[in-house]
Amino acid sequence: MRFRHLLLWDMRFQARYGFYLLYGFLTALYLLLLVSLPQSWKKNAAAILIFSDPAAMGLFFMGAIVLLEKSQRVTSFFAVSPLSALEYVCAKVLSLSAIGLLVAAVLAAAAGCPSLPSMLVGTFLSSVFFTLTGILIATKITSLNQFLLATVPVEILAFVPAILHLFGIAPAFLRFFPPNVCMDLIAGRGFSVIGLVFTAALILLLFVAACRCVMKMWISAGGVKL
Amino acid sequence: MIQVNHLSFRYTKKPFIQDMNFSVAEGEIFGFLGPSGAGKSTLQKILLGMLPNYQGSAMVNGRECKNHGSDFYESIGVDFEYSTLYEKLTAKENLQFFSSLYKRQTRAILELLASVGLENDADKRVSDYSKGMKSRLNFVKALLHDPELLFLDEPTSGLDPTNSRLMKDLILAEKRRGKTILLTTHNMQDAAELCDRVAFIVGGTIFALDSPHNLIMSKGAAQVTYTWLDHGEQTASCPMDKLSEDTRLHMLIAENRLQSIHSSEPTLNDIFMEITGRTLV
Repeated sequence: MRFRHLLLWDMRFQARYGFYLLYGFLTALYLLLLVSLPQSWKKNAAAILIFSDPAAMGLFFMGAIVLLEKSQRVTSFFAVSPLSALEYVCAKVLSLSAIGLLVAAVLAAAAGCPSLPSMLVGTFLSSVFFTLTGILIATKITSLNQFLLATVPVEILAFVPAILHLFGIAPAFLRFFPPNVCMDLIAGRGFSVIGLVFTAALILLLFVAACRCVMKMWISAGGVKL
Repeated sequence: MIQVNHLSFRYTKKPFIQDMNFSVAEGEIFGFLGPSGAGKSTLQKILLGMLPNYQGSAMVNGRECKNHGSDFYESIGVDFEYSTLYEKLTAKENLQFFSSLYKRQTRAILELLASVGLENDADKRVSDYSKGMKSRLNFVKALLHDPELLFLDEPTSGLDPTNSRLMKDLILAEKRRGKTILLTTHNMQDAAELCDRVAFIVGGTIFALDSPHNLIMSKGAAQVTYTWLDHGEQTASCPMDKLSEDTRLHMLIAENRLQSIHSSEPTLNDIFMEITGRTLV
């Protein structure tokens, strides 16, 4: 019950802060871009667009969300409420994934992606990975500039191999690299079980780390000055 | 409600809280008084289950704080000194959101807002609130889930005299409803007025623990100070319990020559300084 409320409130906050409006606008922009591209480019272009924006939006926006909560000291209150770090992290992940999935579905349909379920699974896994990474970074920083700087290595490490892999110019062993596995799913190019196991293991690891970091942030930011 | 026995805690090798012992009964208002860095916040964090690496025992509601479960905070309300509200949401939305975090039945939001005079600002965004309005909203947020134990940090800080009075009346009303209240304040007048007992904390140690009245009375008798005219204004003081022995005062009263007379008791702040050798700043 609490988790359902939290998830709905997170979506409400995101709507209030204009996330849905922003992504409505971006979706229209991306659609225009896709329509203007030659047919043979569309699938790869859609895969790159989906992977690098709606799927990765958690990485970009977690900094803003957590910094906002820190600045309004709401995190202090979470530390002394029945809310668990797991519920908090899950709500953030799912609420941001919901927007990502919606935008990705529209773009995939417009580009004529071969497998919508595969694309949605890929987008969801990417979204979870990026949002958890975003949470991990956001709990450690105190300004938006720090956040932007700290996300650059993640962007390079995730985007470059995935895009190279999409065009078949990445080393073969990188097909098990989680961002590449997600890219394969988004592009509807199938998946390997080993790759999925690696991806699931990485996500699990990030989940545990994110929950610990959130709890640490609540206790250090919250309650310290009682 | 709270039982602390031989509690010690250290952040580094040096002990920060040393062998603390006290208990707080159900329905009591208990005040923590001490200068910054005295250990009040650390003590509260231990009682709130946020610092589990302590030695000794700290029991809240019959449960050891370091072993608290997920429902521990269902019966605890915390009012921080600073605002912990979403600025972009209205007061009502904030309370609706924070209500949703609790399993237990929460109190009626509009009634709570009315109790602090915010019923007409319920649909106003918190970013448009003044500091005093935020303080009042923050306070009722701590009451939302009708907790048995309340931690209040400087609840009257930043409030004008009218709202400060309103807040103190609300705190006393919660006490009448059977709530146990732990109060941290620098305001000695508030502590003397609200607390059943206070603990003076300095350097992680409790220096004194008693009711404000007993502390004041045990450390200094009330004085009577009087003035009269005799080649200019003259002033003299006499302990209240030695008044009958002050012949000059008797004479001045008999001759109707007193210009002024008033009694004064040491304040809780005086007692704090006398016992701990420190000020509360």
